[in-house]
Amino acid sequence: MKHRIFLTVIAISLIFISSCKKKEVKQLVPDDYKGWAMTATELTYPIPGHESHYRQIFINKIGENVKIEKKNGRVYYDYPRGTIIVKEIYPTLEPKKGDKPISLSVMIKDPDNPLSRDKWLWIVKNLKTGKEKVIDYEFCFDCHANANEPYPYGDGNKNGDFRDYVYFPYRK
Amino acid sequence: MNEVRPITRTVNLIIILSLTLGLGLTIVYFSYNQNVTLKTTTRGNLHQQADLLYQSIKNAMLPGNAPNAVSLFSDIKDINPSYEIMLFRAHGVQAFSDNATIETVNKNLDRQKFKLRSSPLENVIDISGDTRFKNSVAQRKTVAFEASESGRHFFTIYKPLLNLPKCTKCHGSDHTVRGVIKISSDITPVLDKQRINLAISGLIFIVVVFILTVILTRFFHRKIINPVKHIGEVCISVTNGNFSNRVSIPNRDEIGVLGETVNRMVEGLYERFQLSKFVSSSTIQSIRNKDRGARAEIAILFSDIRSFTAFSENLPPEEVVERLNGILSFQTDIIHRNGGDVDKYVGDEVVALFSGEEKEYRACKSALEIQQEVEADAGKRFGGLHLGIGINAGEVILGMIGSEERADFTVIGDHVNFASRLCDAAKPGQVIISENIYNMVKDRFKLSSPYKIKVKGKENYQKVFILEERVE
Ligand code: HEC
Repeated sequence: MKHRIFLTVIAISLIFISSCKKKEVKQLVPDDYKGWAMTATELTYPIPGHESHYRQIFINKIGENVKIEKKNGRVYYDYPRGTIIVKEIYPTLEPKKGDKPISLSVMIKDPDNPLSRDKWLWIVKNLKTGKEKVIDYEFCFDCHANANEPYPYGDGNKNGDFRDYVYFPYRK
Repeated sequence: MNEVRPITRTVNLIIILSLTLGLGLTIVYFSYNQNVTLKTTTRGNLHQQADLLYQSIKNAMLPGNAPNAVSLFSDIKDINPSYEIMLFRAHGVQAFSDNATIETVNKNLDRQKFKLRSSPLENVIDISGDTRFKNSVAQRKTVAFEASESGRHFFTIYKPLLNLPKCTKCHGSDHTVRGVIKISSDITPVLDKQRINLAISGLIFIVVVFILTVILTRFFHRKIINPVKHIGEVCISVTNGNFSNRVSIPNRDEIGVLGETVNRMVEGLYERFQLSKFVSSSTIQSIRNKDRGARAEIAILFSDIRSFTAFSENLPPEEVVERLNGILSFQTDIIHRNGGDVDKYVGDEVVALFSGEEKEYRACKSALEIQQEVEADAGKRFGGLHLGIGINAGEVILGMIGSEERADFTVIGDHVNFASRLCDAAKPGQVIISENIYNMVKDRFKLSSPYKIKVKGKENYQKVFILEERVE
């Protein structure tokens, strides 16, 4: 009898331990973004937040269906759920031919994710290690809030459209 | 037998332990929670205030008139002196301390937009060595921590101020973090409050445990332990042969009922004990041994009150019973003293048995002692009654005679009947003995002898003797 209790205890604790084992983390950023549409190509000037690196921006198919509406005199952009915007960060401001990006700055529209801020997941992917880090503190979205008012890049958003935190909006 | 471990100690221990554990855990839980709430709300408030400040600083900076922020800080400090708000450059030196930033801005704008300060600040604070500050800049992340400084406790937040796109026109695009806002609050009063909370909880705990322990211990003693002890004492005194003690427990609970049951039991025991005085020890012995029958050599004594029926007719029944009991127990005492057993009482008759060494002598001695005392009484104790006694000895059959439900220990046989006849033949005050007895005791008693009598059940005249007195 004692024996059986002992075995049961062991079995239960084994079940516990195995259920506690870390689940495989799902990769958030797809590898095939190179085939996506690009919103900006020649970003050769330094910017705070992404610093002195050459940058290219890609947007997935879902993101192409961005809804642009005028409400109360202001233009509102709304990227659909599942939108992924990938920004490649190259090692220098003037990369040579054949240079590969060192990291990706990524925004994924995922409002239900508890780590999302302003409806976006903010991710930095280190391409050397393949590690994806979700930034859930102010840093990214604090600056990207400026995309919803005039800024000194791209088209400058002179009218102060609500750009849904994206500096270089997708255009057909 | 194992040593008795007093239940009092165990009960007290259980009471104190359960109170301490139960109340202790509750109080620890609540005071801990209270302190945690106090701490988190204080911290939450500070974070919220830091956010608000951050937003207002961002806006204060907007017009390009950064020094507005400085007056904002001092305004806030005026309103709440327990706050300290400072702005640092990303490399750790207090902001607005010299003209470095103004010069950069003017250069970036390509004109003298801002006037240079005439005298740089004195006692400039530099926190570039603070690792928490460095972390905050490197990770572009808010860092919050607690630290003690000269006896006061501070909660501090380092919040990086980003070089937003709208700032780049003046400040350039070569850096991400413009500076760090330090918001520090003196939380010594909060900690003092926590400490006082803990002390009060501890005090309440001790007082409550003490009071409850006293109340509970007294309750247990009053309701359980003392009554049980009392019952124990009564049981001990009964064991020691004292039946006069009774349990008195006023409680109308299980223990009260137990007390009453014990009382009833003691009464029952007492009755049986009283009875056992009149029941021979061999009866008790044989009931114990469940004897079914045995032959034995014994001396049988029959004693009978003469004309008791006539005597009792003129008396109230209570007095009759009392008189009878008096005479019976007086005889029983003497019989017992001489090592005899009272086999039974049949009305006013006593049947006694003697066995073992000198059984005939002891039977005779008992008979003489009884007669001498009754005759010497002159009506005082025994109301002028007289006894007749007959003694015989021989082999008889002893045993439990009767049914399973009701059986009496009895002697049967010729010798028993003969003893009874001798008793019948004895005149008041006389002791008549058989020849068997005579042969054994003739040297030790003075006897008038021999007589011949005819008794029922015997063909021939029987030789009998009258016991006169003992020869010393
Ligand atoms: C200080 C400002 C600032 C910060 C902080 C910042 N960004 Fe950006 N980000 C920009 C600007 C400006 C652009 C426009 C494209 C460019 O010039 O590189 C941009 C572009 C992007 C884009 C392309 C979509 C767009 O807005 O056009 C992504 C994706 C992105 N950033 C992700 C991030 C992530 C993830 C973080 C946090 C780790 C972050 N950014 C932090 C300023 C910032």
